[in-house]
Amino acid sequence: MKIHRRQFLTCAGMSLLAAPRAWALGDDTRVSISLLAHGGSEALRPSSVEQLMWEASKRTSMDVRERPVAVDPLSPDLFRSPFVVWMGDGEVPPLPKKAIERLRRFLRGGGMLYIDDCSTIGDDAFDACVRREVKRIWPDRPLARLSNDHTVYRTFFLLEYPRGRIIRQKHLEGITFDDRCPLIYGRNDLFGAFSRDELGTWTMPVVPGGQIQREMAFRLGINLLMYATCLNYKRDQVHTTAILRRRRWRVETPRDTR
Amino acid sequence: MLRAWFDPDGEFNVAQMVLLSSWSSWIVALVALSVVVVLALAWHNVQSLRPSRRRWLLTLRIAAVLAIVVVFLQPGVRLEHVTKVRNHVVVLADDSRSMGLFGEDTDTRTEGVRELLTDEAALMEQWRQKHQVDLYQFSDHARPMGDVSELTSSGDTTRTLAALDDVAARFEPEDLAAVVIISDGADHGALGVAAGDTPTPIEQSTAERIGVPIHTVFTGPEAPPKDVIIADVGYDDFAFVRNAVSIQVEVEVNGYDDALVLPVTLRRDETLLATRMLQTTPEKARYTLEFEFVPESVGKAVFTVEVANAPRERITVNNKRQFVIRVIRDKIRVLQVVGRPSWDERFLRKLLKKNPNVDLISFFILRTSASLDVARRNELSLIPFPTRELFEEQLGSFDLIIFQNFTYRGYQMQQYLPLIRDYVKNGGGFVMIGGDLSFASGGYTGTPIEEFLPVRLPRDGKLVNLDRFEPVLTEAGRYHPITMLDIVPETNTKAWEELPALSGTNRVAGLAPKAVALANHPTLKTADGPAPVIAVREFGEGRVLAVTSDSTWHWDLLAVGEGGDSRNYYKFWGNAIRWLIHDPDLKPLRVHADRDRYPLGAPVTLVARAFGPDYTPAEDAEIEFRVSRRRDGSDDGSDDAVETAVCQTDTAGECIVRLTPPRDGGWTVDASANIGEVELTDQDLFIVATDPIELRRTAARRDTLARLSRAGGGELRTLDDGLDGLELVEPRVLKINRRRDVPLWSSVWFLLIAVLLPSIEWFLRRRWGLL
Repeated sequence: MKIHRRQFLTCAGMSLLAAPRAWALGDDTRVSISLLAHGGSEALRPSSVEQLMWEASKRTSMDVRERPVAVDPLSPDLFRSPFVVWMGDGEVPPLPKKAIERLRRFLRGGGMLYIDDCSTIGDDAFDACVRREVKRIWPDRPLARLSNDHTVYRTFFLLEYPRGRIIRQKHLEGITFDDRCPLIYGRNDLFGAFSRDELGTWTMPVVPGGQIQREMAFRLGINLLMYATCLNYKRDQVHTTAILRRRRWRVETPRDTR
Repeated sequence: MLRAWFDPDGEFNVAQMVLLSSWSSWIVALVALSVVVVLALAWHNVQSLRPSRRRWLLTLRIAAVLAIVVVFLQPGVRLEHVTKVRNHVVVLADDSRSMGLFGEDTDTRTEGVRELLTDEAALMEQWRQKHQVDLYQFSDHARPMGDVSELTSSGDTTRTLAALDDVAARFEPEDLAAVVIISDGADHGALGVAAGDTPTPIEQSTAERIGVPIHTVFTGPEAPPKDVIIADVGYDDFAFVRNAVSIQVEVEVNGYDDALVLPVTLRRDETLLATRMLQTTPEKARYTLEFEFVPESVGKAVFTVEVANAPRERITVNNKRQFVIRVIRDKIRVLQVVGRPSWDERFLRKLLKKNPNVDLISFFILRTSASLDVARRNELSLIPFPTRELFEEQLGSFDLIIFQNFTYRGYQMQQYLPLIRDYVKNGGGFVMIGGDLSFASGGYTGTPIEEFLPVRLPRDGKLVNLDRFEPVLTEAGRYHPITMLDIVPETNTKAWEELPALSGTNRVAGLAPKAVALANHPTLKTADGPAPVIAVREFGEGRVLAVTSDSTWHWDLLAVGEGGDSRNYYKFWGNAIRWLIHDPDLKPLRVHADRDRYPLGAPVTLVARAFGPDYTPAEDAEIEFRVSRRRDGSDDGSDDAVETAVCQTDTAGECIVRLTPPRDGGWTVDASANIGEVELTDQDLFIVATDPIELRRTAARRDTLARLSRAGGGELRTLDDGLDGLELVEPRVLKINRRRDVPLWSSVWFLLIAVLLPSIEWFLRRRWGLL
C-alpha cells in the first residue's frame, strides 16, 4: 500500500483532530524506546524513533513518548524504559564488562532489546560485533532464527517476513527466555526506513520495494512495539474461544438425566 | 510299686525312675563304650582258666562295672504330685449389625445365638469339667462377654479373621481345646472377600495360628433377605469447580425374583442433581450406575445417593449413602481487560502468565475508533472485543476481573456494568488499576462500578496527578495480607520504603464506606484525609482492590535496576490475588472438623483459629460454635438438632471443642467471633454416618464359615445341630505341685558293694595266677 506525502499530511491532520485526549500519568508510564548509547549508534538514524512512535500513536491505542532517550548501558536509566534499541553500522567497540552484566540483568528482569543492523549490504562488520556481544550477554543461548509464525509477525499487523530500508535477510533472529524473546536482531536497517525530515520527506530511499516496503517496515516496527508491551498476547488470544470451551467454564445447571 | 516303696504316706501321685546326673550324652556314650571294652578285655583275659573259674571272674567283673556305672549315672526315683490344667473352649458370638437382621426362624440372628447358648448351657457346664469355656462377642475384634444377655448387634464391621487373630494373640495353641464361631458369615474383611470352597492362604495361616479345631455355627437364613443396597460409591474426595465430576454407584439387589424399576437419586444437600432409573433382572445382583454433574461453587458439600425402597423391603437403612466432596478451584480464572498496551500491563501480564495457578484470559484494546485505518482488515490480527461473551455469558466463570487502565466507554458496555456489580456482590473479585482511562478519567463516576469501588471518584476538577511519589503504608496496611511483603511489621514497613517510587496517580475524592486504605499518597489530600492509592473493600460477598497508579511495574524492572529484585512486586500482586479470591488461608476466622465422617455416637473435634484485624493470632477471643443438622431432602426436618459450645482462644489464636451430634446425617458447624468489633464467621461440615459398612452386605453366608471350618479342621453346623459332639482337644498341660528326687546310689551298702566286688575279683585273679 502506497502512501503519498499529501495523503500522509491529510491523514495526520485528521487523526490529530480525532485523537483521544491523553491523560497519561507521566512520561514513565508512556510506551517509549530508549536508544543504547554505544558506538555512536544513538545518532545513526535521526528522527526515526519519533516517526515510528508517531505512526504507532496514530494507528494504535498506544500512548507513546515520541522522543527517544539515549541510555548508557551503565546508567540506571537503562531500566526506566523496558524497550531498548541498539542501531549499528560498522565495527563497534566491545561493551564494558559491567555493561554486559547490566544488559543481562535488564533482559532477564523483563526488558527487551532490538538490535538493528543499519549497515549496507556486504558490510558484515556490525553483524560480527553483534554476535560477539550477544554471546557475551547470553553465553548459553545462541541467537536463533525466529520462525515465520512467531508472535512478533502478528502482534498487530499480519506480516510474512521482516522488511526494512533494505531486505538483506527475510527473517529475524532472537533469543528465547521465559516464554518470550527479550532479544531480537534484524539485519534490514529497519529504522533507516523511518527517517523523515521536517517537511515530511523520507530521508533514505527504501530498496527494492519502495513505499510499500516502507509501509511494511512501519508495520514491523509497530509489531515490535506491540510485542514489547503485550508479549505473547496474540498467541493466547487466538485460542481464547478454544480455551473457554476446553475448560468447560460455562456454568451448567443440574439436569435430570433420566 | 515304686510309689508304694518310696512314698508310703501317699504324698505324691507319680513316681518314676530318672538319672540324677547331669552328664552330657556324649560322655554317657563314652562310658558305655568303655564298659564294652573293659568287659571284652576281661573275657579275653580269662580264656586260659577252667570254665567254673572263668564264670566267677566274669560275673564279678560285670557286677563291679555295673556298680561303677550306677555311681557314675546316679539313678534315682522322682516322686511328683501333678494336676492337669483345663484348656479353653473359646466361643465367639457375632455381634455385628447384620446379626440384628432377621434369621431363619427368629426375628433376629442374635436371638438365634442367644437361644443356642441358653439351650447348650448344660453341655457347656459339662465341658467345664475338663475345659474352661470363654464367651466372646466379636465384630472386628473379640471382646469378652460375661453372659449371653450381654450379646448385642451393634458392631459396624464383621472381620472374623481379625477376631481369630485376637484369640491367637491371647492363647497359645496348647491352651486351647477348640474355637466355636457363631455367626451369619456376612464378613466384610478378607474372609468375606474370598469365594469358593477352598480356604485361602490367609485363612489357612489364621487357622494354623489357632492350632485347634475351629467349629462354626451358621445362624443366618439360607435365602438372602429382600434388600436393595447402595453397596459402594466411587468418588474422589476433591473435585474441581465447573469441571465435570463423575460418581459411580454400585447397587446390589438381593432376594427378588421379579424385575424391579427403582429410581436412584443424587442430591447435593436438598438439591436434586440427577435421577437414574435402575432396571433389575432376577439373574443379576449387582448394578453400576454413573452420575455426572458440574459443581458450581467451591467449598465442601454433602452429597446423598439414595435408591428408593423396593416392595416388601425390610432393610431400608442401607438404601442411602452420604459423602463429602471438597470442591476446589483448579485454577484461578482471571480476566485482564486493558485499555491500551503499556508497560504496567506488560509486567502484570508476565506475572499472571508465570503463575501456574492462574488461567488468564487477556483482552487488550489495541486500536480505538480514533486510530488511523491504513490497512485492510485481513492485514490485521485484530478481533472484535467480545463484550457480551465476556461480561454476560462468561462473567460468572471468572474468579477475578482486572480493569487495567480501561474505560468502558466506546464499547457499548453500559448494560454490562450492573452485571459486573452483581458479579462482585455475589463473590467475585475485582481490581481497578489506574491510568488515564481508569477511575474518574475512565468515566466511572456515578456508574454501577463506582458503587463497589473502595474509593469515591471526583465529579470534576483535575482527575490525575503526574508527580512521582512513594506510597505510605497505613496502619491497616502494615498488617493486611495484601501489603504484607514481610511477616514482621517493621521489616514490612522498611520493604515498602525501599520500593521504587511510583509515577502519577488518579485522583480520588476519598474512601468509600467500609473501605480500608492500605497505602496513601504522601502529599495528595482528599476531604477525608490523605488520598488513598491502594485501598480494599468488601462488597456483598465479593472483594475489590483499587490501585490508583499505573506504574507498579516499577517495583519489578526498576527494582532490578537498583540492584534488588522483583520479589516484592510478585509478592504484592500474589497477595492481592489470594485475598481477592477469598483464599481460605487468609480468612480471619477458620473452623474445621478434624474428619469428614464420624460414626454415630463418636465425638466430633472442632478446631477454630482466629486472627485480629492486623492478621495476628487473636488471643482470648470467645468463639461460639453452633452445630446444626443439614437437611438433605429425604427427611422431614421436623426435629432439626442443634448443639452449641463456646471456647476461648489460646496464644496461638486457637481453640478446640468436642461435641457428639445426637443424630446421623450431614452437619454444619458455624463458628462466630467478635474480634476488633468485627463479627467474623466461618463454616465447615461433616457427616455422621448411619450407613455402616456392615449393612452393605446383608445376606448371610454359609460359604465363609464352611471354608473357615475346613481350614481349622472343625465342623460347620447350624443352630438346629447344636454344639454337642464337637471335637475338643484334651488338656495337655500338667501342673506340678510338688516334686522329690530319691537317689538310689547314695546308700553305704551300695558303696561297699562297689568297693568289695573289684577287691574280690582282684583277690581271685591273684590266687588263680592271672596277676
